[in-house]
Amino acid sequence: MSATSHATTLGTNWVGQPLPRKEDGPLLTGRDRFLDDIGLLGMAHVAILRSPYAHARILRVDASAAAALPSVLAVLTGEEVVRVSRPQRGRIPLPVSPQVYALAHDKVVYVGQPVAAVAAIDRATAEDALDLIEVEYEPLPAVVTPEGAMAPDAPILFEEVGSNILWHDTFPYGDVDGAFERADRVVRERVTIHRYLSTPLETFGSIAQFDASTQTMTIWGSAHQPGQEINNVAAALGLSPGQVRMIVPPMGGGFGNKTRPIYHILIALLARKLAGRPVKWVEDRRESLLALCHAADGIMEMEAAIQDDGTILGLKFRNIENEGAGIDFAGRHNLLMLSNIVNCYRVPAVSYEGYSVVTNCCPVIANRGIGKPFMCLAVERMVDAVARETGLDRVEVRQRNFIQPDQFPYDTPSGQTYDSGDYPEMLRKALALLDYDQLLVDQEAARAAGRLVGIGIACGVEPAGSNLSYGMLISGPSQLLSGQGEAARVRMEPDGSATVYTGGIESGQGHSTALSQIVADELGLRPDQIRIVATFDSHSHPYTQTSGNYSNKFNGHDTAAAIGAAGKVREKLLARAARMLEVAAEDLELAAGRITVRGAPDRSLPIAQVAARAYWSLNDEAPDDEPGLEALHYYRNPRTRAPDAQRRLPVQMGFSAAAHVALVEIDPETFEIEVRRYGVVHDCGREINPMIVEGQVHGATVHGIAAALLEEFVYDDDGQLLTTSFMDYLKPSSADVPMIETDHLETLSPWTPLGTKGIGEGGAIVAPAAIASAVEDALKPLGITVSGLPITPTRLWRLASQGGKRYPI
Amino acid sequence: MSELTTISVTVNGEPREGRVEPRRSLADFLRQDMGLTGTHVGCEHGVCGACTVLVNGRSVRSCLLFAVQVNQQDVLTVEGLSPDGVTLHPLQQAFHEHHALQCGFCTPGMLLTSLELLRDNPAPTEAEVRLGLAGNLCMCTGYVNIVRAVLAAADGHAASASTAAGSETAESPPGALPRFPTGKEIA
Amino acid sequence: MKPAAFGYFAPRDLPEALSLVSTYSSDGKVIAGGQSLVPLMNFRLARPSHLIDINGIGSLSGIDAADGRVTIGATTRQRDAGTHPDVKVQLPLLAEAISYIGHLAIQNRGTVGGSIAHADPAAELPVVALALDAQMHVQRTDGQRTIPAAEFSLGYLTTVLEADELLTATSFGVPPAGSGWCFSEVARRHGDFALVAVAVLLTLDAAGKVGSASIALGGVGPVPMRAGAAERLLVGEAPTDPVLRAAADTVGADVEPEDDIHASADYRRHLAGVLVRRALTTARARAAVAGNEHV
Repeated sequence: MSATSHATTLGTNWVGQPLPRKEDGPLLTGRDRFLDDIGLLGMAHVAILRSPYAHARILRVDASAAAALPSVLAVLTGEEVVRVSRPQRGRIPLPVSPQVYALAHDKVVYVGQPVAAVAAIDRATAEDALDLIEVEYEPLPAVVTPEGAMAPDAPILFEEVGSNILWHDTFPYGDVDGAFERADRVVRERVTIHRYLSTPLETFGSIAQFDASTQTMTIWGSAHQPGQEINNVAAALGLSPGQVRMIVPPMGGGFGNKTRPIYHILIALLARKLAGRPVKWVEDRRESLLALCHAADGIMEMEAAIQDDGTILGLKFRNIENEGAGIDFAGRHNLLMLSNIVNCYRVPAVSYEGYSVVTNCCPVIANRGIGKPFMCLAVERMVDAVARETGLDRVEVRQRNFIQPDQFPYDTPSGQTYDSGDYPEMLRKALALLDYDQLLVDQEAARAAGRLVGIGIACGVEPAGSNLSYGMLISGPSQLLSGQGEAARVRMEPDGSATVYTGGIESGQGHSTALSQIVADELGLRPDQIRIVATFDSHSHPYTQTSGNYSNKFNGHDTAAAIGAAGKVREKLLARAARMLEVAAEDLELAAGRITVRGAPDRSLPIAQVAARAYWSLNDEAPDDEPGLEALHYYRNPRTRAPDAQRRLPVQMGFSAAAHVALVEIDPETFEIEVRRYGVVHDCGREINPMIVEGQVHGATVHGIAAALLEEFVYDDDGQLLTTSFMDYLKPSSADVPMIETDHLETLSPWTPLGTKGIGEGGAIVAPAAIASAVEDALKPLGITVSGLPITPTRLWRLASQGGKRYPI
Repeated sequence: MSELTTISVTVNGEPREGRVEPRRSLADFLRQDMGLTGTHVGCEHGVCGACTVLVNGRSVRSCLLFAVQVNQQDVLTVEGLSPDGVTLHPLQQAFHEHHALQCGFCTPGMLLTSLELLRDNPAPTEAEVRLGLAGNLCMCTGYVNIVRAVLAAADGHAASASTAAGSETAESPPGALPRFPTGKEIA
Repeated sequence: MKPAAFGYFAPRDLPEALSLVSTYSSDGKVIAGGQSLVPLMNFRLARPSHLIDINGIGSLSGIDAADGRVTIGATTRQRDAGTHPDVKVQLPLLAEAISYIGHLAIQNRGTVGGSIAHADPAAELPVVALALDAQMHVQRTDGQRTIPAAEFSLGYLTTVLEADELLTATSFGVPPAGSGWCFSEVARRHGDFALVAVAVLLTLDAAGKVGSASIALGGVGPVPMRAGAAERLLVGEAPTDPVLRAAADTVGADVEPEDDIHASADYRRHLAGVLVRRALTTARARAAVAGNEHV
């Protein structure tokens, strides 16, 4: 923390400025190198044969005809994968954990599950060869809804588990029974969310090359958490993590989706089979929509114990989460919802019952805000229901239940400590941003003219950083993984510029620019003198098991690691300068590329001169000095711990928040929905780069709007996915969304080095709730309430034409 | 693999030749045979627009064209907007200044679509920009800053139009496209 | 997602093309704009053995306005058709419909003939062709014929074209001066295939009554359909709001939509009525009473 105080006392020059990004140049000119832009001599190209059935026994696989093609280099089937690799288990050790291999061998459990893989001289030829692989299946009954999967006669996906319920538990916090006894009334709601995905424009991919002499596997691959991927691959192949080199080229978007170790394992197995020859697989869009991952669908039943004045005394939740056929992320949506379940509200008593259920759908992984969009939707729908039932204004109900500014840091029932915020002011500001009072006047006039105009209001917390100990809520202390941290190495070069390596991964969020602003302030340099080596390489970049780009962890963890490493470099630099200037290091100031004796501006040295000596002039070293100006820092969040006896656990390490106000209009005949205006006031603490912050708000918000109105993975009863192209899985275009109007509120986090909080996920967390609220408000003349997403014209029309009052039917 | 066909294509002003299978898409030809990996492939079914390039001055999906179909034709890719990879085209500059890109994967297609848009309509409204870009998906920005950048580039163009007039020649190769080619070039 | 291998021909003239079409009639495929065919090939849902690329045949491209008809060559790009002065002035209904097709890059490459021959019942151009009673000009090595739009489509992606025939041009009759028109559709997003598309043409006689009405719909059945009952109801009537509404109300009974993930059949049926009423209202506003066309 000493480095931080230096930066603060010197006045942070670069942090806070809306600098255009240093990442942009190669991206704008087409000179960047994404994964699929990498070509290696002799590279083989992979195509994957995928299951056409949602649930079937594999009776026979015959790949001999494919293997016999001269242009085919290798074929892999499930039988061989079982022989030559070890199975994957879920990241959270489940009570009974199914074993999953990179290819299906005895049965398939979702459409699109990999069954065989072909490596050939090019991709088209590899796809040709897939036609020659014969697979005999015995189809089994499939189940696609979580409630269906919980039925007593449901087909069982994983026989070893004995049921489709992977996990079920109840977490009571506070005096829940007492709250319900004291309540004036109880409000009940049932809210559903569907499957969708943020779908980075660059699909997932993997390139592997095996050096048989050293038994080293090099993987260029999509990854959010390189430490985890390295260990997954090493474990599956029976290698040491040190024998797996992972390189993560710039990613064309990620949003949490690019976390599928089985594909790295599969490509690595082919690479080992083709010892020496590089092997490449890049997912095509159909594969991606079909089988990369989805965000979980879920069913939330809620009860709120309230007073007649709208005060919420207690909440009960029962959530059923559809994990699809996946075990890798099983339980995570539930646990992350649980951790944030009071949202922005002062609710002293909460119980949460969660089910994690497997079905014959695509496995779920993380998607921007994992679990929290559903948390926010459910809680905000409940708050609107409370307003409805009490006849109170929905703004008033929120203001009454908000955690108040003077209550921070605020401890929630499940063990979170909210660091900072001013939710009442945040909502006031958001309403002012769109001139709410005028909107109400306009709305009244529009309604009088028969138009359906609605104003949506939603607030949500946006957590930042995850204490990965949360799996212990399922596994108990047997889980090895815990805490949250990041690693960084900073090297001041002999010319006085600096180079930064971190375990974080860039996928478009501008981390390189933000880090260069931070490190520039620490070292008295300009951001253009800071080089961020953005392509992660485990042979050059420091990392831990918790490293990577996920959970909004950049703001408090990646920054702290970089500041820590830069601070160490700074100390070395000043120590050396102190000797050269013959003063104490404490008397030196570092700014604008120079080291100056405080109060004596004529006594100074250029940083570059000191840096050069650190590398060139080793005779100058004091006996205890190391040559050079390089430092490594492993940052560990000091506030993480294991669950306590009441199973309270600080899962999320910081809390941004946002208030969204949406204006929608619905065509009263066609029920087409237009988002006419959209305003966001967000509080992410200090903004490192306001331009980047605003861009994150825009993008995340549009993800949330689209999830509410357009995007939906649709399965038929047999488990066939009907939305396997961008013709049917509807992403929003520029013509489908409005300008996102933004404003900022700043409450500094006391726990991050710069007072920052998370920013990448909030828009996606709150927008679905705001849209649901807006549509419900628009439909008020028809008396229709909204309890589920997505909201589509065809379903809305059907409901209205039948005189229904609750969406969805 | 079926027979290879020899094709001649002008790419970013340079005459190039390649030998391709008929099934080789223009996108794959540019990326794999020409080494121009700035053209990105996002869906391979003509929806996302990431692979947009200009053929004979018009935006097309290079995943929906076979390379053999552009034999003897003229292709402009994102690399052609900044031949040295350093000097930015005014549109690229506007994207940079307005933070109109995050992951950057859609950016080449966005730039080429915007280039055509502004050539055909040098002073578009926000609604016209939104409609004009609707065939290019961006998953990161929510489009806000892309729209702002294109509008800003249009303003910049309007300001400099008089000085640029007359400096263009019909012989200009596409690699040295005038900042915003005139509408007659596509007639 | 790479297509299966195929052989490729780029004939330079029509006879060569017709000969190739005839030779590969069993499993070859003609490619013009390719904006519908190539996605199907990339998904390997279509696997033609050979592609016959007709883009290089100059005589198949171009727009010719003469004798009260506008004839558009098969490989004329949709964008060129939509912005052509003759089309904008004489066939504003067609120009308006083209503005709904996909996006600019699709219109830049997609052709008028390709869209009509592909016969997607939710596509814009077959609907306009039906509304305007277009004539499809078709050739084969040993002859030619002209097919009225009403007889052209047989079902989803299926037409009366024989395997050795090539659609060479589409000829649209220019509506009488003063005709009102409207093309409109509801789609999930801008540029998507329509859930329902409507093309309306309305002429008013000297008394201000409906002289003729043409209403065609897409997305409501396996082929584009004419709303015959509504047309009959309108002719001879003053186009008042109640009359337009009554006409539109008959449309639901005429159409045979199906369910898909984006719209149920009954929602499409409902949309058809709403869109027809709105399109008629717009067309009425754009129509001039006979004798006052110059106004």
